[in-house]
Amino acid sequence: MEPIYTLFKSCTAAGWLPSIFEHAFMVRGLLAALIIGPLLGAVGTVVVTKKLSFFTQTIGNAAMSGVALGLLFGEPADSTYAGLYGFCLIVALLMTFVKNRTSLANDTIIGVVLAQTLGLGIILMIVVTNQFNIHQVEGILFGSLITLTDNDLIVLAITALAAGLLFTCTFNQFMLSSFNKTLAKARGLSPVFLEYFFVVLMTAVVVASLKLIGSLLVLVLIVVPAAGAQLISSNLRRFVWLSMLFSTVSTVLGLLLSGILPVPSGAVIAVVSSLLFYAALLLRPLLAKGGPNQGEI
Amino acid sequence: MIAAVQPNLLEVTDLSVTLRGNRILEQISLAVKKGHIHALTGPNGAGKTTLMRSVMGGMPHQGTIRFLFRDSCRLGYVPQFLEFDHSVPITVFDFLFLMLKRVPVFLGRRRAMRERITAILAATNCAHLIDRCVGQLSGGEFRRVLLAQALEPKPELLLLDEPASNIDEVGIRQFEEMLISLRDQHGITILMVSHSLDMISRVADRVTAINRSIFYDGSPDGLTHFDLQQQYKILG
Repeated sequence: MEPIYTLFKSCTAAGWLPSIFEHAFMVRGLLAALIIGPLLGAVGTVVVTKKLSFFTQTIGNAAMSGVALGLLFGEPADSTYAGLYGFCLIVALLMTFVKNRTSLANDTIIGVVLAQTLGLGIILMIVVTNQFNIHQVEGILFGSLITLTDNDLIVLAITALAAGLLFTCTFNQFMLSSFNKTLAKARGLSPVFLEYFFVVLMTAVVVASLKLIGSLLVLVLIVVPAAGAQLISSNLRRFVWLSMLFSTVSTVLGLLLSGILPVPSGAVIAVVSSLLFYAALLLRPLLAKGGPNQGEI
Repeated sequence: MIAAVQPNLLEVTDLSVTLRGNRILEQISLAVKKGHIHALTGPNGAGKTTLMRSVMGGMPHQGTIRFLFRDSCRLGYVPQFLEFDHSVPITVFDFLFLMLKRVPVFLGRRRAMRERITAILAATNCAHLIDRCVGQLSGGEFRRVLLAQALEPKPELLLLDEPASNIDEVGIRQFEEMLISLRDQHGITILMVSHSLDMISRVADRVTAINRSIFYDGSPDGLTHFDLQQQYKILG
């Protein structure tokens, strides 16, 4: 990573970039933002279509327990990935399993699991904080540029590459299955398999993004850009690209602001993302011609 | 009408479906002949859609379902309802693209696909709807789009679940002409659920009436409104 940091320093010295990029953590943050921004934006379009918005929040909540479990099992404090991925995947698969095996509504299942993971997370955090710095947990909750390491960036890049590739290859199937399961089945697809597959993929992306955005705010970056894009899109192509654009602008701008202001990166990203959503809402009558969400506010 | 000497394309034997302890279908046996329009009718809750779903392989059942395909070995399906979020910006073009291509719709080459999809939609007289959002279509328009997707690639057996619901009288007549053309011009066998005896008598070669089990199976001329009303009373 050193050559990249040196390059950014040179650019800063030449006046091509703001002075905040003299710091390695800001460069890491920018790279992370450029990786996860488009990915979360694209994944968000399927999340919104499948109505899985609060599912992602449950994964975020499960992350608290995941971090605590990782620490309890002796993982290093700055990379509790086994605990995080392990617990979040179990929770995601459990929710999908219960949904497919019962007639309970999706939001009911999410409510049940959300309460469980929150309760368990708080208990485990109390146990763990006796032997661990609370700021690390804070970083998981709200995201922190400072705690983002080179290793985190590598995990993020590998996850994003794999998830991005798989997502691109299966986007049409995800969308068709989200649109209507019976029709997808008639086309030879397996909606149940696709649901499990998407949930695993989404969980991997969410967990990899936690260091930058935080578990409490990860929902924002998955749902808000897609919701804003949906308001002013008249077709799927525009929906996906606009969602990716909104998400990337939110992460990069939010990151730059958090480098200047003494606030967590996740919080600023959430505010920027929300501002873009409201801008889309205001511009909807002009931009949504032919789309399903056109009309006056 | 097609002569009744055609070979069977679909054979359902002793089909029973039980869901959460409730018997939905009981010992259903029927045969759909190649090149026929075969109608399924019966009161609401009689198990018609369950029978369709069983044929599609989407319902656990007892008994056997046998396809005797010779050509494309493909099923086309037009569902009764298509529940979806009307606010999602999916155009008719996108909708068909999702089904026909593996390349993601946001990366695909649209010009070549546009010509292909226009031709597919033209088969059911709805090419003009290509850029409309699916959530903005009327019931009749959406039925035609659904039928167009079911015909690509050409199916050997087309399953239609209440194809005439939400369509006005003029639209129904156009739809019937389309079905007859699919059977006579393209040799497509059709199994359709319908509540309309008038429509059945105009287009179907054979009708099977069910109310959990079969209470009539034969020519559309032999089934009367009275027969159906008797079954509604039993159910009611």
